[in-house]
Parts: sequence; C-alpha cells; structure tokens
Amino acid sequence: MNDLDFLRLSKPQKLLHKLKTAILGIPGKLLGSLKGLVMWFVNLFKGIGHFLADLVMTYVRGDWKTKISYTVMGFGSMARGQWLRGVMFFVFQTLFNMYLFMPILKISESREPLCGLNVVTLLANLGTVETAKKGRVTVYGDNSFLILLYGVLTLFLIVAFLYTWYVNVKQNKISEQILKSGKKLKTAKDDMASMLDSQFHKTLLAIPTAGVTMFTILPIIFMILVAFTNYDNQHQPPQKLFTWVGFENFQTLLSAESNDLGVDITDKGNGTVTLTITAKDGDIITVDTTDVAAAQAADALAVDSSAEFSFETIGTNAETGKDNYRLTFTGDAGEPVTLEATSWLYVSTPSFSHTFKQVLLWTLIWAFFATFLNYFLGMLVAIMINKKGIKFKKMWRTILVMTIAIPQFISLLYVSKMFAADGLINGMLMNWGWITEPLPFWTNANWARVTIIGINVWIGIPYLMLIATGILMNIPADLYESARIDGANAFQTYMKITLPYMLFVTGPYLLTSFTGNINNFNVIFLLSGGKPLGMDLAGNAGNTDLLITWLYKMTVTDSNYKLAAVMGILVFVVCAVINLVVYNFIPSVKNEEDFQ
Amino acid sequence: MAKKNNIPEVDIIVDEKAGVIREVEPDKKLRSKKGHERRVNGAIYAILILMSIIWLCPFVFLVLQSFRGESGGQVAYVIPKQWTLDNYAFLFQGVGFSLQTLVKDLPNIILTVITNVLGIWGMVAFLRRKPKNPIEKTKGNLKAAALVFGVLLLINFMRCVDSTNCDFVRWFMNTLTIALFCAVIQTVMVLSVSYTLSRMRFKGRKLIMNVVLVLGMFPGFLTMIVLYYLLKMFGLTQAGAVPGLILISCASSGMGYYISKGFFDTIPKSLDESARIDGATRFQVFLKIIMPMAKPIVIYTILMAFMGPWGDYVFASYVAFGHKASYNVAVGLYRWVNTNDYQGYFTRFCAGGVLVAIPITVLFMALQKYYVEGVTGGAVKG
Amino acid sequence: MASVTLEGVKKIYDNKVVAVQEFNLEIKDKEFVVFVGPSGCGKSTTLRMIAGLEDISEGTLKIGDRVVNDVEPKDRDIAMVFQNYALYPHISVYENMAFSLRIRKMDNEEIHRRVCQAAEILGITQYLARKPKALSGGQRQRVAIGRAIVREPAVFLMDEPLSNLDAKLRNQMRAEIILLRKRIDTTFIYVTHDQTEAMTLGDRIVIMKDGFIQQVGTPQEVFDTPRNLFVAGFIGSPQMNFLKAKLVRTGDKYAVELLGTSVALEDAKCKKLLEKNVQTKEVIMGVRPEHTVVRFDGSDNAIESTISVNEMMGSELHLHVNTIAGDRVILRLPTIDLTDEQRAQLSYGNKLYFSFASKVVHLFDPETEESLLF
Repeated sequence: MNDLDFLRLSKPQKLLHKLKTAILGIPGKLLGSLKGLVMWFVNLFKGIGHFLADLVMTYVRGDWKTKISYTVMGFGSMARGQWLRGVMFFVFQTLFNMYLFMPILKISESREPLCGLNVVTLLANLGTVETAKKGRVTVYGDNSFLILLYGVLTLFLIVAFLYTWYVNVKQNKISEQILKSGKKLKTAKDDMASMLDSQFHKTLLAIPTAGVTMFTILPIIFMILVAFTNYDNQHQPPQKLFTWVGFENFQTLLSAESNDLGVDITDKGNGTVTLTITAKDGDIITVDTTDVAAAQAADALAVDSSAEFSFETIGTNAETGKDNYRLTFTGDAGEPVTLEATSWLYVSTPSFSHTFKQVLLWTLIWAFFATFLNYFLGMLVAIMINKKGIKFKKMWRTILVMTIAIPQFISLLYVSKMFAADGLINGMLMNWGWITEPLPFWTNANWARVTIIGINVWIGIPYLMLIATGILMNIPADLYESARIDGANAFQTYMKITLPYMLFVTGPYLLTSFTGNINNFNVIFLLSGGKPLGMDLAGNAGNTDLLITWLYKMTVTDSNYKLAAVMGILVFVVCAVINLVVYNFIPSVKNEEDFQ
Repeated sequence: MAKKNNIPEVDIIVDEKAGVIREVEPDKKLRSKKGHERRVNGAIYAILILMSIIWLCPFVFLVLQSFRGESGGQVAYVIPKQWTLDNYAFLFQGVGFSLQTLVKDLPNIILTVITNVLGIWGMVAFLRRKPKNPIEKTKGNLKAAALVFGVLLLINFMRCVDSTNCDFVRWFMNTLTIALFCAVIQTVMVLSVSYTLSRMRFKGRKLIMNVVLVLGMFPGFLTMIVLYYLLKMFGLTQAGAVPGLILISCASSGMGYYISKGFFDTIPKSLDESARIDGATRFQVFLKIIMPMAKPIVIYTILMAFMGPWGDYVFASYVAFGHKASYNVAVGLYRWVNTNDYQGYFTRFCAGGVLVAIPITVLFMALQKYYVEGVTGGAVKG
Repeated sequence: MASVTLEGVKKIYDNKVVAVQEFNLEIKDKEFVVFVGPSGCGKSTTLRMIAGLEDISEGTLKIGDRVVNDVEPKDRDIAMVFQNYALYPHISVYENMAFSLRIRKMDNEEIHRRVCQAAEILGITQYLARKPKALSGGQRQRVAIGRAIVREPAVFLMDEPLSNLDAKLRNQMRAEIILLRKRIDTTFIYVTHDQTEAMTLGDRIVIMKDGFIQQVGTPQEVFDTPRNLFVAGFIGSPQMNFLKAKLVRTGDKYAVELLGTSVALEDAKCKKLLEKNVQTKEVIMGVRPEHTVVRFDGSDNAIESTISVNEMMGSELHLHVNTIAGDRVILRLPTIDLTDEQRAQLSYGNKLYFSFASKVVHLFDPETEESLLF
C-alpha cells in the first residue's frame, strides 16, 4: 500500500491499517532488536579486546617513563614536565591506596576498623557477627547497613580509580606521540588556561557531577541492592544483621494471589484440634473442632486446587454462649467433608501483592485525571480569559496564580482541614440545614479520591492556564483565518486546530506531567495522607495512597525498607515503560523538535 | 450619515419588569450575532467570577481564621466573632533582638561594620539613583550591588534575632537560611549544567543527558534513608539539619537543567562564535555574552530555588526528626495541625501560614513575568 | 466563477485609523486583478474585507449579484492563499488540502479525486504524505495554493503569496501562477507590493496609496499613461526620472523647456493640454530611463550631465548622472554596441549627454501631482 492509497482511507480505516502494520511489524522489530543486541555484544567484546590490546601495546611500545606509569600513576607526566597532571594522578593514587588498605572504616563494635578492601569482601553476606550480650553490656555486631554503604562506596571508588588509571596510561601514549612528532607538551599553565576554555565543560560539570554521583547515583544503587535483602524492622542494624534474599521481595509484591485453599491442623490435646484455613482471598480463619477425623479429611481434600469451603451457623453453645458452625469442604480429591466447630476466629490478612495492584491502579487513575483533567480545564480557562472582548485579563490570571504562589503546605493543609468532618464546609452545610451528617470527604474511599482530584484541579489549573496562554498566543493568526475561510465553526476550529496544535506542542510536557503525577507526593500527603485506610490493604496503605506515598510510609512509619526499595524500582519501571511506549508509538513526541 | 439611518439609536431595551434584555433590532442577522457574542461573554464572566471566588476563598478564610479569638479547631463560620491578634503574638513569644550578638568579637565587629556600611551604601545608592541616568549598565550594576548588599543586611539582621526561645521565628529563620543558600548554589549549578549541555559538544554529552533522564524516573523519596545516613556521617542531621538540607537540595540540583537548557538553546550560536573569533575564551563567552542575555531564566531559576524550601516537608522532617530547633516552617506548622493539641494550635497555624505566605506571594507576584516565561518555555520544549 | 464589485468601500479601525476609503471597483468574472502599492496602503485590508476576515465599515461588497457584507467567509465561495502559507503543521499535506472539504463533509472519494488532481497540477503528488515541516518554501507555497484549488472557489484570493520566497524561486512561481491561471479559469485577486509581479500577472492592476485607489488599468495603460506622480514613480524599474521643467504654450502648440533645451510636444499631447486649457507654467517632467538616449558628445538639444554611478547589469548599463541643475537622472544604455573608448568614457566624473523624444514625455502638475496628459 503506497502513501496515496493510505491517505484516501477514512479515519477508522487508517487507524485499522496503522494497527495492522504495527502488529505485523512486531516480529520484524523484535528480530531487529535481537540482531541489534547480538551486534551490541559482539561490538562490546571487540571493544574490550581492542582496549586490552591497546593497553598491552602501549606498555610494550612505550618508553620507560610510560612503563613506570603503569604502576606509579602520574610518573610519566611528571617526568615529561607536566607536573600538575602528574601530581594530581599521583595524589589520587595515594589517597585511593590509603583508603583501600588502611583500616579506617568502623562497621562493628566487636571488630577493629576495616580497610576498604575488607569491606568489599564482607559484601558477600553483609556481616557475620551478631549482636551479643557480654554480661550487662550489649555489644553490637556488624552493621549490615554500613557494610553495604561502604561496600558500594568502595566499588564506586574502584571504578573511578580504574578509569583514572586508564586516563593516566592514555596520557602517556598521547604525550609520547606528541613528543615524537616534535611538538611541545602542554604546560601546567596551559592546562589551567584550558580549564576555562577548551575544557570549560569539565570545569562546569565537575561539581554537579560529583554531587549527583554522591547523592543520587550512589543512593539509588544502594537502594536497588536493598531490594534484594531482608532489611526491614525485623532486621534493623545495628541490633540485627540483614542479608541477601534474592528476588523474595519482588515475589511478595508481584506474586499472583494464592489460588489454593490451605488447611493446617494443630493438636490442642484433650481431643480437640485447631484448624487453620487460609481462604483464597488471603483471609485466615481459625476454628476449633473435636472431629479430628473430619479435620484430617479436610486437610487431605485441600491438596487439590479446586477445593472450596463454605460454612453456616448452627445454634449457640449453651455453655460458652458462642455460636457453633458447620463447615463444608468440597473438592475433586474425594467426598465432601462436613465438620462442626466450636470457635471461630477470622483474621483478614490482605497480601502485599493485592495491595500493590490496588495502589498501582489508583496511582494510574490519579495520574490520568491529574494530568488530563487539569490539561483540558486549564486550556479552557486560558481560552476563556484570552477571548476577545473579555476585560481584566491580567486580574483573572493573577487571582488564579495565587495557588501557585502560596506554598502548598499552607494551602493544601488548610483546604484539607476545610473538608474534614468537623471542617468548615461540613459545618456550614450543616448549619444551613442542607445535610444532617457530615459528608465523608476524607473517610469514604471514593469520596476522598474525587475530592483529591477536585482539589488538585484547584492547584493545577493555573499552571496549565499559564502554559496554554503562552502557546495559544503563538498559534499563527492566519491558521485561524484560513480555517474560517475553509468554513470551520468555533468548535471545529478548536477540535481541528487549537487542540491538535496544543497536543502537538505539549506532547512531551504531557508525558513528563504524567510521570510527575505518578510521583506527586505533596497533594496526596498533605490532603489525605493516603487515608482512609483500607481493610483489604496491607502495609498500612490507604485508599488514596499512591505508590510514592506508600513508599514513604514504608520507609518512615514501617521501616520496611526492602519493600520500599522494590516499590521504588517498580515505580521506575512503570515510568520507564510509559515513556518507552509513548516515545515509540506517538510520533508527535519525537517530531516535536521539527515542529518548532 | 447613511449609516446613522440604518441603525436605530436604541437597539436594546432593558425590560425592567421581566428583568431580561430584549432585542428589538430589525437587522436581525447582524444583531443576533452580536447578541450571541454578548451572551457568550456574559457566561464567561460568570464562570470567571465563580472561579475567582473558589480560588480566593480558602485564602480569605485562612486570613480570617488567623484573627479568630474563640478557641477551638475548625468552626462552622467564616467571620470571627471575636477579633484578636493573640495568634500572631503567640508566634513571636520569646523572641529577642540583641545587637550584642552582632559585636561579640573583633572579626565579627569588622565583618558587621563592613557589611552594614556596604549594605546601607548599596541601598542608598539604589534608592538615590537618578532615573535619567543615561548609562543603563551603571543602573544594572547598582541594582545588582543593592541586591547583594540587601541580602548581606538581611543576614546581619538575622544574626541579631535571638530565637532560642521562639519556635516560629526560629523555623522561619531556618527556612530563610536554607532558601537563600539554595537560591545561590542551585542557580549556579543549574546554569552550569544547562549551559554546558546546551552550548558545548563533547564526548559523553548524550550519555549524561540519558543518565539524568533515567535517574529522574526513580521516585525521590526512595533514597531518603541512605541520604540520611550519608548526612549522619558528616554530622548533618538533627542539630545540623539546616546545612544538611542545604547540601542535599543543592547536590543533585544540576539534574533540573531542562528548562534553562531550553532557554539557552534559543540564543543563537552565532553569538558565541563571533565572541570566540573576537578572542574570548569559553568562560568569557559564558560570563560576558550569555549570562547577561539569560537574565529571565536566571531570575526564574533563583525564584524556583528560593521558593522550594518553603514547602519542603518530607525530607526536612526526616532529617530534623525530633530536633525542634532544626525544623523549617513546613515541618513546624505541619506538626502544629497534626498534634494532639490540634484544637489549640489551629488558629496559630493559620497565623503562621499567613506570615509565611505573604512574603512568598509578594515575591512571586513581583517576578511572575519570569515565572510565566520559564514554565511556558519549559512546557513547549519539554 | 463570479464577478466582485466594491462600491464605496471604507475601512475604519477601532482606533479611528482609516485604512481604505472610496474604494470603487468592478472585477469581472475570470479576471486577474492585482492590488499593488507600498506597505500600509490598504491593499491587504481590502483583500481581507473581500475574504470576510475584516468587517466592512461602509459601502457594499458584491460577489456575483449577492451582497456579502455580512456573510461569513465560508459562505462567500472564496479561497485564500496566505503570505505565511497558514498550513496546519500537525497534519499531512494531503489532510491540509482536504481540510476544507472534510469540514464540508464531502464524500471521501470526491475529496481524494480533488486533492489528487490539485496535487498533480502543482506537481506535489509525491509529497502528499509529508508534514508541512518537511517541505521547502516553494513546496509549501504550492500546498497553500493547492488547498485553495481543491475548493474550486468562485474567487481566488492571494495575499502576497510569493514574498517569502527567494528571488529565483519567486520568478519560477510567478510563471507557474500564470500557467495555473490558464488551467483553472476563475476570478483571481492578488495582492503584492512588487510592481513586477503586478505587471506580469495582472489583467488589470489596481494601484493604491494611503487607502485610496490611485489608478486602475491594464499593465500597459498604467505604464504608458500614469495618472499621477505616484503611479508614474511606482510602476516601472528603474524608476521614472523626474525633472523640473517649464511648459511653454505658443498658440495651440506646446513645448517643454529645460536646461537650455526645448522639446516640442507632438499633436496628441498638445490636444490633451488644450482640452485642459493649460497655460505656460512650471511642471514636473517625467521620462523613463529606457526612453532616454545617451550621447557621448554634446550635440544640439542634448542635456549635459556628470556620471556619478555606473551600474553594470550585463545586457545594459544603468547610469546615474547629475544634471547641471542638480537633478539626478538614471539613463539606460545597452552594452551590445559600445566601443572600448565609449566604455572608458563611462566612468565616475566624466561628462555625458542625453536627450529624449517628445513622445515619451510625461507632464505633472507640481501642486496636485496629477498628470496633465491624462
């Protein structure tokens, strides 16, 4: 199908065709990326090969100054008169060696300080010495947290050292070539001058890069590693060690909910057994029964995945005043089993994986509304204010912008209180006699969700209004005139010109805004704090919690660092997937730069 | 003259009894078009007025509540029955102002004298500058000088305030300190990074941008605990939370380079090239050509960096945990409305909120132009 | 296919600025009319009034027999090509051209037919799937025209469509517009500030200045008999030379005297002057550079001058010379027959003589600036 044939199709046909080609293209694309991957690895190995060969050849062909530089960094540079570079290399090497081999890192009360190299070896199991009591004194054992932290830091330093060492070797090679060709080497003064000229980018980027490495990259790598440990409130250094557990935490959050009925029997003696039934929704029911044989039969029956159970109340025990129950187990593995129980204990234990799904769903719904509702309403407001014939444009804008100017912790906290059960809104409505009970703005899950989205509109519209105003002004007037001559009415003009233009120009913004809203901590935290809490949600999660606020709760309230770390990784994955999909399937985002 | 005959002098009559506007214009087509226009505009005004009320009400309520004399948390009416300034008085309880702290030792005295003299001189020079002064540059320099000296004066003033016994003033000072430092350091960081990535082409440029993109997708609070321990290593938590917060908020600020990079991208490259042909180093190009042109984005960056700390609750509360003297306003006031004595502190929270909001809002409104430029540019360029 | 009639059309903006007034013009069906004039003369405003993008303050506008003063642009059966093309950047060339048809809910097949046909006429078929951004200036211009063609409008409006193109492309597109006009035979109204475009394209030219029509006529008419000083100066390149002169009447005969020479006017001119009963008076005399005759020696009736600038155009020379009275005159001299000696004489500061025939003389009243020969 050529371009022209495609163009003549009607809209649904076009969509269908695009979809078809996209789906048909998947195998080819996959093959392509597979090929790409293979080539990448091939090139990588080739590159490594070249790199090593280059190192060896530099050594073999180099003069004695170069050769010594392989072990004493900066020697070559100093010997060739570039003392500034040489000294810097040398100092770096010395400091690094000191860090690596001098015992300066205190990771345990019961151990002497360790050197950097030792800490790296401890990374294998994050400490071995447990906290112990010597008489009345508690002697803390290894601090797994510090081991991991120092370990990662050391690995960073080792990578940095290797890179610097490589630069040092390369310097020698380059210097030799320059000298051979009869030119002069750069002096220290030249080096200093180049920092403000040809090497100015390095000067400008040095501090920001160091800051980001130390306070963003290092911590993120640390937390990614934590996701593979059992670091939580049960394993909190320095009292307790924590260690590697593999993908266990990911399973906790992501595993499918159990489909099996679980039955456990514990003998209480005097002819009674306790039956612990794990229901399919994760709830746990504990019953006592004297019918041991039936209990065992139920246990046997529960092996089969199709097993189910039901119950009914059968009168009250005259002695204890409690209800008696009859439980019926059915399954493919045998005949149905009926047993009578004298006690009943119901515990709801929502699973993390269930909670994660709930919270993720709400996070996506929230991000969708927070982005697009604000976007369209903001654009609408901008169009209204900018309409010809509307006066006091500046005043309207200034009033709306108030919500941006005033710090959110004031405005949102106050508004949150306004909507509380004893707050202004409910109070006034009750005074006027419109309602008798307070409206459950923060206590009912769905009310809370709607209220949050509504208040977010209050916060978000002005921002979008400003952006939309700027872009609307930039739409060339002749586009509208042309459309007018072509016969488009106001609505058509909006749908066919204003809106596509806006979407086109703000495509990338919408994307960042969407991922930004996934991580929009302030609004949720200050308004509802994630409440109301849900019976069916694990880990203190509330019905309005986003992944990010839940992560915050896990870190601050529950000290459940391992799951917080997993969640952080999952948030990253969600954002990355959305970004990848949008970049690959929506061309306007890619072509945005051409459009300007 | 012909025109006058066509259009009757009264084309719209207000029917007072019915209270509606009735059109009595024979040239129906033209008139109905205008009437339609009028109705649309009327509807828009109605919506805008309604919106303005919704937008302003919470703030008006907040101010009114801060003057409320009756005790208790929230009440079901807006206008206080009893007006009072007690809530504000409470905020400043125990605050002292001692000039002695300024002049405790010799270096202090010298520093104080110099900064004060320079500060006053700068202010006076700024105020006395003649509007007719023909040299624009002098005016700009004076303005900049006045700003620097104004900040110096402010710092001196801050040193005089003894807030040992007054929580709110202490928190306010903490936040102001953080905000001032952030405004300077973050701006330098952001501008360095954005300028470099916009103007210079070097190996690893794309890599840096991609790494920043990837890092940005990790949620910010993920690493809170690690940062806490890192700060603890340097003794910058609890009592040292203020410098700790400055360090944390500035260290990674270079990652927020997008908007100013977008701005630098719009400055023609030929300017750089011409300056380099004239013999300027890259540093000189940056300082003498680009920076003066980048005034809007510099102000935008400063504004954003300055406003950030005023709303920072999460990390501030984590780092300063349990150490009241290190709180910032957000942490302090948040705790006021979430304490057990919420009933007693609600109106005080309102008063504190008003005092924090006023300077920030005034500053924002004054620099609104730059903010709008920044956000629209940022949105368009992504 | 329709005529366009403007009667006493006037445009006053809100700030009381009068952009166009006393605009009376009848454009015949299938005529190509060009509005030309310096920027700010009201030509674009007039076009936009015809399009319906500006309200008409006074007067009536008819397209065909219908008064369209208050008719929406879309109902006027017009199409317009904008100076900046006004292509919708977010949709393909094809969709750009189909836009107005889709708005009119036209049948899909019919849209396709029209778009393809227009694309073929303009030679942009291979670009149909592209976005406007991916086209060059000339291609975009074609798309803009194509968008107008598919409408099959009764009146085709073009607002300085070539002014954003470079000189070479402009010449090429100009020729294409002439061809286009032959293929789609409809009424064209074309606005430009470039007199060459006006002369080459228009069946008739409307020359405007300060909101008033100065002259309406075929290219030949406005070139040969400009009605006033402005038109005379505006049409033709290089510009017409203006010299202070004295018109002398002797009986029924007239002669022009200047710089010691006297040129007797031929009968046709004398008759016109007689009709107006013009007496002996000071006048402004206009002579087009191409009508001057350059002489290397000062024979009789030749005017002496000094060369100040010598512009080499290839096939001809443009010589800027100063007369003794200080008037600056441009002379045109074909290069083909020049000898080396003559060439050598044509350098700065040298003396040069020129003369002109009475046939080519234009005479203007210094006060009213109106032509005395119109």
